[in-house]
Parts: sequence; structure tokens; C-alpha cells
Amino acid sequence: MAYSELVKNFNKIRDYMREFYVYGFKSRDEFTKKSARSYDDERRRMESWLGDYMRFRQTPDGKNVFISIDSRDSRHNPLYKAWKAKSFTDGDITLHFILFDILSSPEYSFTLSEITDRIDSYHCRFDEPKMFDESTVRKKLKEYAAEGLVVTEKNGKKVAYRRAAETEVFDADILDFFSEVSPCGVIGSYLLDKISSNNNFAFKHHYITNAMDSEIVCQLFDAMRKKRMITIETISRQKDSAYEINLVPLRIMLSTQGGRQYLMAYTPRFKRITSFRTDNILSVKSNGVCERFDELRAALDDMQPHMWGVSTQSIFSQQLEHVEFTVRYDNDEKHIHRRLEREKRCGTVEAIDDNTSRFSADIFDSGEIVPWMRTFICRIISFSFSNKVLEERFRSDIEDMYNLYEIEDGESE
Amino acid sequence: MIFSELYGTYYNTVAKILKSAVDHPLQKNEINRIISEEAFAESILNIAPAIEEERWQLILKDGTTPLKNPPSMPLTTLQKRWLKAISLDPRIRLFSDNLPDFSDVEPLFTKDDYCVFDNYADGDPYEDENYIKNFRLILDAVRNKYPLMVNMINRKGSISHLALMPRYLEYSEKDDKFRLISSGCSYGETINLGRIVSCKPYDKPFNVSTFQLRGERTATVEFELINKRNALERVLLHFAHFEKEAEKIDGERFLVKITYNKDDETELVIRILSFGPMIKVVSPQSFVNLIKERLINQKRCER
Repeated sequence: MAYSELVKNFNKIRDYMREFYVYGFKSRDEFTKKSARSYDDERRRMESWLGDYMRFRQTPDGKNVFISIDSRDSRHNPLYKAWKAKSFTDGDITLHFILFDILSSPEYSFTLSEITDRIDSYHCRFDEPKMFDESTVRKKLKEYAAEGLVVTEKNGKKVAYRRAAETEVFDADILDFFSEVSPCGVIGSYLLDKISSNNNFAFKHHYITNAMDSEIVCQLFDAMRKKRMITIETISRQKDSAYEINLVPLRIMLSTQGGRQYLMAYTPRFKRITSFRTDNILSVKSNGVCERFDELRAALDDMQPHMWGVSTQSIFSQQLEHVEFTVRYDNDEKHIHRRLEREKRCGTVEAIDDNTSRFSADIFDSGEIVPWMRTFICRIISFSFSNKVLEERFRSDIEDMYNLYEIEDGESE
Repeated sequence: MIFSELYGTYYNTVAKILKSAVDHPLQKNEINRIISEEAFAESILNIAPAIEEERWQLILKDGTTPLKNPPSMPLTTLQKRWLKAISLDPRIRLFSDNLPDFSDVEPLFTKDDYCVFDNYADGDPYEDENYIKNFRLILDAVRNKYPLMVNMINRKGSISHLALMPRYLEYSEKDDKFRLISSGCSYGETINLGRIVSCKPYDKPFNVSTFQLRGERTATVEFELINKRNALERVLLHFAHFEKEAEKIDGERFLVKITYNKDDETELVIRILSFGPMIKVVSPQSFVNLIKERLINQKRCER
């Protein structure tokens, strides 16, 4: 097929975009899973959509392509552009504009044959008039009715179509803000395309990759709203293979610090609530209503006070794990106690004295807390994990860091 | 469905072309200009011929269109459901009290359907009337470009009075806070909205051009990454929001270069520390020293 900058299947570009944006160190030859032509096409598409955000670096292994964006400088998520590149047929676009010209106001209501006749009148001035038969027009109207763009009315045996009523939209500032911070923000970006953006907001600590999972997350929300069971096809990154699993979707968990997005779901097969990364999910199929939805969501609510992140079970044990550490700070570092309070999540913080504070938590997986604990390196005077494997790992990691930076005993004098 | 041509750049671009064609016959260069402004870099290679060759029978050879009205499309149910969902977010009240309620649709999601699990606990008070009042005035001043007199609680806990020209609002999802980025203020360019007690339009002459914008002070840090315990994926995703470059050194070792705002250096130091021995900062030496200093202090704590 000839190259087109538009695509039919979003999953095809999802992987490439992630590779270029998150990783960006692979050369053309390393994209072994796909053909060289596929790589060239996807790279060219992204260059067309993202322009200057695409960068290149020549290495001995070849040219590496990567996407580099400081999301603080960009008022709108550039990756949304990929969502606006869906392919269509010549007939689709022609029919679209003519249909809405015929149904230019909610006051007008026409039957299928009336609409088809009117369409013909639009084409008579062209050299080779394109004709649309009734079944094509009916199919398109049915599609638009499903999207909520067109309303159908039955009048005896005849069905009439009218444009859906106009709806008031929020102003550009609201859309500018929520299109960046709200789940499925690309929908807000679609709305912004119809009006002028004000660009009055910038965003710090802003992870833009989750945009690539918008369709999946949207389907998961829809299933949750309807309390439905689902079947997902997801990738096991360890095994590098896809598998299907039946789930009851319960909640989307968003990370503002790690850039990841998860689905918390009940797995009937394992009788557990567990997490699935949304960027690994390839498809979502909605099934029947789950009668236990409310009960399962309440179970998740009960679990969350013991979840530091999204883990609901340690790889080491079934029980809650206790973790605590104590930090010391100088008189001009009282903000450290406030920092602990601010960042403690489900943990507890107590002031031992004017210069010492202790954090403790009982959580499913104390491994999740380790990266945060390391941010207090330079002032941790004691720590303890009920999970002794992790305690030893935490200790040896700090030793490894001393070695990495060649910190000798004498230097601490 | 989110991925639909209905929301696509091509449909929007053609709508703009048709809007002009309803108004007046179009010349080829006007069509090309609209495509260049509205669509992707290579779109001109597709849209212009499709119109000219009458594959899309929407523009006649004389540059007119058989359409009688400027193109428009109602909102889809998906768009309305998303708008309904954000109308339930407490932050929406920062903008207005009178908003449409989209009563004919169910929200796409509610607060029960998602959870931000790692943002900080001391986020801004979005439901506080005084905060809302300040936010609205500041946003109005940003929109309409007028100076403000701001009374804020400074780091010492006392009130500072500042005349400034608001430029834009910056929001951090992690901090769950808004900051006002301004110019013409001796205190600095960034003020947390949560610290602002009150503000009002500044009615004295205010010449912002006499104040130099401090500008962003950027710096870069380079570190080696050892891909143990899935560190490659975790690190690169964690730092994804920075301008960055990554290259493979050999085997499981990678070199990562991050460009950051110098004001956020301490934050970057602790974020790098959070990856433990999987990351070793290699340059600049001043940044290496910041890490070493923390490790030396940690060693002291162990005595």
C-alpha cells in the first residue's frame, strides 16, 4: 500500500511513539519486530505530525530517532496529534460535510430518501459526479446516530434524521487546563481544535505519554460506569507475548511521579484484585454486567489504605509488611518534617523531637516505598523492614552507592 | 470511539477551507495556506490534490463550494460525557459558577473511577472561596494583560505586597498546586497561589518593559544507567517529561542526558537518588558533588 500520513490502526503507532519518546536510543536495525518499511513509514508519519520535536542522532550503529519534549514548555500535549490522524475514505469526508450541510439545523428533519436526493444535487456541478446509494447514506447516518451527532425519529414506518441539538461548551481556559490534567484529555483537545486556545496554562511534572492509552482508558471507564466485566488482551513484557484475561475493572490509578497509569481489577481466575499497566493493554472487550461490582470496589477501597503504589501483594508474603525509618535534620531544615507529612500517603509521621521525625507504614509491598525512602539519603539515622530481604537490599544498595561514588570512610569524618 | 476521523486534523482543515469557500471563491494559494496552517507537515501532499482532482467533491473548479452553510458539527456523546466528567472535578469551580450541566449524558468517569495515588497531600484549597476569588482575578489579569497588586505570605510568615504583571499559570500535578508566573516583580517570577492572601488590579503606572525577564536558567546532567531491576524502563519513563537523550553504552549500560531548570536542582538530586545504585551521575562535577555530599552525610548518620 502507498504511504499515507494517516493511519487506520492506532496500536500500530502506539509502540513506535513510546519507543521514540520514552527510550529513543534504538537504531533502525534494532526495530527488529517490524519490517524496515514499517519503521520508515512510522518515523515519517511522526516527523510529519510532530515536526521539531523529532530529533536525530548519528551513532556508529546508525541514525537514532527520538522525540524530545520538555513538557513544561509545551502548553498542549504534542502526542495528541497522533489521535488526529485517523484515515478515512474519499466517500467518508465528502458525505460528512454534505450531510451536515443538509442537516444544518436541528429544526430540519429528513427521511433517508430525501437526504439521498439532496446529496445528488450537491454533485451535479462536478465533472464526474459521485453518487452515494441509500445503503451507504443509511450506514453513515446510523454511525453518526451512534456517535450522538444525529437523532433518529420514527414517524410511522419512516425514519427521519435530524442534527443533534447544539450544546454549550466550556471556554478555552477550562479546556486548556483539563485537556492536560484530566483523564482522556485528548477529548478536550478535540474540542479545543474548534475554538482558539488561550494558552494561559503551563504544566510542570507533566507526563504526556499516558495520552497514548486514551482509547483503552476510555473503554475501561465505560465498562466501570456500566459495571461490566471485560476481557483484555495485554502484553507480558517479561515474556514478550500477549495473552487474554477476564477482569472486573475497578479503578484507574494515576501516577504523577512515575508517569505510569494502571488498571486495578479483580481477576476471577486468581480471585484477587491486582494491577495492570494500561500501556500494556492492547484491547478491551466489554462483557456482561458484574453483580459483585460494588462489593469488589468496596474491597479495593478497604485495601487502598495499605497500598503505597498499586501493589496488593508482596512477592515475598501474603501479609502486610511494616516499614519505618527515622530522619534527623538541622534547625534550619524543619521543612523535612513537613515534607514527610506532605509525601507520607498512607503512612504515619511523628515528630520524635525538634530535629527528628519517624515515618512508619503497614503496606502490602514495602518494596514500593524504597525509591521514596532513598530520597532521604543524607539524613536516615535508622530504618527497619519486617521484610528482612528488602531491609538487606536497602542497606546493600546504599553500600553500592558509596562504592559507585568512591565514598571512603575517611570522607565522612 | 476516541480514534475517529470525526476529530481528525484533515476534517478540521477541510472544514476551515469550506468555511472560507462558503464566503468567497478560493484560489489555490489560499487553500494551501489553510492546509499549511492547520494540518500536518506533509498534509499538503494529500489534501490539495484530493480537492483539486475532485476525489473529495466539496470544492468546484472555480473555487466555490456546493455547501450552503459554514461547516459545523454537534458535539458527540463522547465529548459531552467527558465535559460532564470534568464538570464534576472540584477544580472546575476555579473558573466559573455558572457552567452547563450536560444533564442528558452520564459522565465518562467520576472521582470513584480513578485515583491519583502519589500526589502531595498539601495541594491547593480549590473549594476555598478566597482562593477561588484570587484565582479568577489572576486568570483575568493573565487573559487581559493587566498588572496586579498581590498580598502574599512570604517564607518568613509575614505579608509581602507585590506589584507584578501576570504572564501565565503553571500547574503541577505532583504538587497539586498552581503557581503564578509573572514579570516585573522583585520577589521572583514564581508565586504559589496558595500563598496569596488577596490581590487586586494595580491602578498605578506599571511599565513592565523596565523589568528584565529573568528567563529560565537551564542546566544539564548526565548519568550512567545500569539496567538492573527494570531500571531502564523506570528511569526513562520517570524522567520522560524533561528534554532528554539516551544512548546505549554497551550491554546493559546507558548514558542519559537531561536538561532541567536550575531552580529545580534539589528536586532532581533527590529524584536521581531514588534510583539508588542503578544511576551514577557522571557530569557535571558540581552535580556529582551534590550526590556525594548526601552520601557522605548519610555515612555520618550511620555512626
